[in-house]
Amino acid sequence: MTETARMIGAKSASGSATPTGRRAGGNAIDRGRKRLFVPFVGPAFLFYTILFVVPSLYAVWISFNEWSGGDDMTFVGFKNYVRLFSDDLFVQSFVNTLLLLFVVGIAIFVIAFGLTLVLRDMVARKVARSVIFFPHLVNAMIFGVLAGFIFNPGGLVNKLLGGLGVTEPPAWLAHENLFPLIMVMMTWITTGYFTTILMAGVDRIPPYYYEDCALAGANAWQRLRYVILPLTWDVFATCAVLWTISSVKIFEIIWVFGGSTGQGMPPTQTWTVAVYTYVTAFSGQSIPAYGAATASAVLSLAVISILVVLLRRATKRDAVEF
Amino acid sequence: MTMTELTPPAVAAKQPRKQRRRRAAITHDRSVFRGIGLVLLWLFVALNIAWMIWMVIQAFRDTRSILDNPWGLPTSLDPVNFVTAWTVGDFATATLNSVVTTTVSSLLTVAVAAPAAYYLSRVENRLTRSLTMYFVLGLGIPAQVILIPLFVMLNEVYLTDSLIGLNMVYIGVSMPFTVFLLTAFFRSLPLEMEEAAALDGTTAFGTFWRITLPLAKGGILTAFVLQVISHWNETLLALTLLQSTEKYTLPVALISFIQQQTYSGADWGGLFAGLCIVVIPMLIIYLWLGRRLTEGLTLGMGK
Repeated sequence: MTETARMIGAKSASGSATPTGRRAGGNAIDRGRKRLFVPFVGPAFLFYTILFVVPSLYAVWISFNEWSGGDDMTFVGFKNYVRLFSDDLFVQSFVNTLLLLFVVGIAIFVIAFGLTLVLRDMVARKVARSVIFFPHLVNAMIFGVLAGFIFNPGGLVNKLLGGLGVTEPPAWLAHENLFPLIMVMMTWITTGYFTTILMAGVDRIPPYYYEDCALAGANAWQRLRYVILPLTWDVFATCAVLWTISSVKIFEIIWVFGGSTGQGMPPTQTWTVAVYTYVTAFSGQSIPAYGAATASAVLSLAVISILVVLLRRATKRDAVEF
Repeated sequence: MTMTELTPPAVAAKQPRKQRRRRAAITHDRSVFRGIGLVLLWLFVALNIAWMIWMVIQAFRDTRSILDNPWGLPTSLDPVNFVTAWTVGDFATATLNSVVTTTVSSLLTVAVAAPAAYYLSRVENRLTRSLTMYFVLGLGIPAQVILIPLFVMLNEVYLTDSLIGLNMVYIGVSMPFTVFLLTAFFRSLPLEMEEAAALDGTTAFGTFWRITLPLAKGGILTAFVLQVISHWNETLLALTLLQSTEKYTLPVALISFIQQQTYSGADWGGLFAGLCIVVIPMLIIYLWLGRRLTEGLTLGMGK
């Protein structure tokens, strides 16, 4: 509530109520609003609690049990978690997720920041910015399928290389090459989104800082180091948190990567934790292991939480007011 | 009076000086790095346009000519691939399912989230602060965590393999982001008109309904369209919760179309037509509301 509102509220209250009543119940507008609590917040609270919070807590419980979906739920404590780390498939999925998180994350930030610096004062920046943002609005699956078209033996890249005289191009879609390709594709489709966010931060820097730099004879590097970076630090921190959360969810692009290369399931070399969770529970090819599957998901949630806390710690600076 | 007369020339005098100085600072670093950066940026922009053009072009060619020469152009504008995708790949049902699910769940999401966000943005006390936190926490939970519990819970009440169940799940899952976005948006609206309405004796609900909602039209539309985009593209939950072909949404139908091809040989033409059906609605929405969406997605990021 603003100060004026409180004053107006007080004035209107003093017209009708006694001074004591005013002191006890806040102002008239506030009291009217408070009656709306249940009808306004209730539905959102219920939907969110029943369909999101309860399943999350239930997930923690399931992860301590061995369960194939029937009546055979047995409590096993931390056994599922211990077993995960002796499961080569899980370890590989986990490593892949971390690779996406860190390697792709760093690539995205370096490129996005570079693009931001170039975009900052170029011609047609708005057009360029809108174009590179668009992949964020498209299902990542599409890019997985397109990769098959671009990299298949008679595809775009090989035809191009053939034209340049390369007769034996690498087997792009061989299983061991798939994951690096996925990382490249992820970098491509995510960079635009983070560039847009960083741009929003850089645009808020008032131009007189740059003028001051020019007057003081600062070079491009010094301007970056002493003006742009400190003033966009918060935005960087937010982006890092956003990427941490979204990188752990990566599923669609892996599931269909390379078009029809898989036999209903992607090759294990490319699995992420999300894929591991889904396959372990719903593949239909083995007895569903709900306990292990949920344990892997809960574990990825734990990784997110730890990383986010660490990130917040590491990026905490005194906010620069401008 | 004198003030207003004085201001324009002062501003006019200030403006060019500012610009000249700024330009001087920029010319300062027209270095090699910048040149390379510009080239790379435009290449990146070109790549982001090229894939869409390729996709649309290939959707009009048959598989053999695509494999023969992926750089080639279509010989005719015969939409045969779209017909195949529409009939053989069951994209017709899937498109209908996707359109209905996306529209209904996005509308309900906003209808449920807007009042909550309004309350949380207007009433400041310990309860609302913790509730806001409670909603925001959901932003950090990845969908795979709730996948199995949701499946089990919905199975209990016969809502798996049901679009109604999927709609409800989408509403629940979208609450954190929508409440967060709309709370930030309502906070940015001026309070004066609400106060004036309250002084005139309008009830609290009337104030929300007749004053705040019309003022917040833009933000609510943004929230709605962002939900449309995310529900249109949502894959993991739909893939888990839907089992029968006639309930499939577009991403699930696309996956099953790809898996059919493992057995019947790749039909790249049909596949590209399918991709177009998924991508083009998003492109239309983006062309229509572009700036608003980027602003919505970056709102509050700088704070």
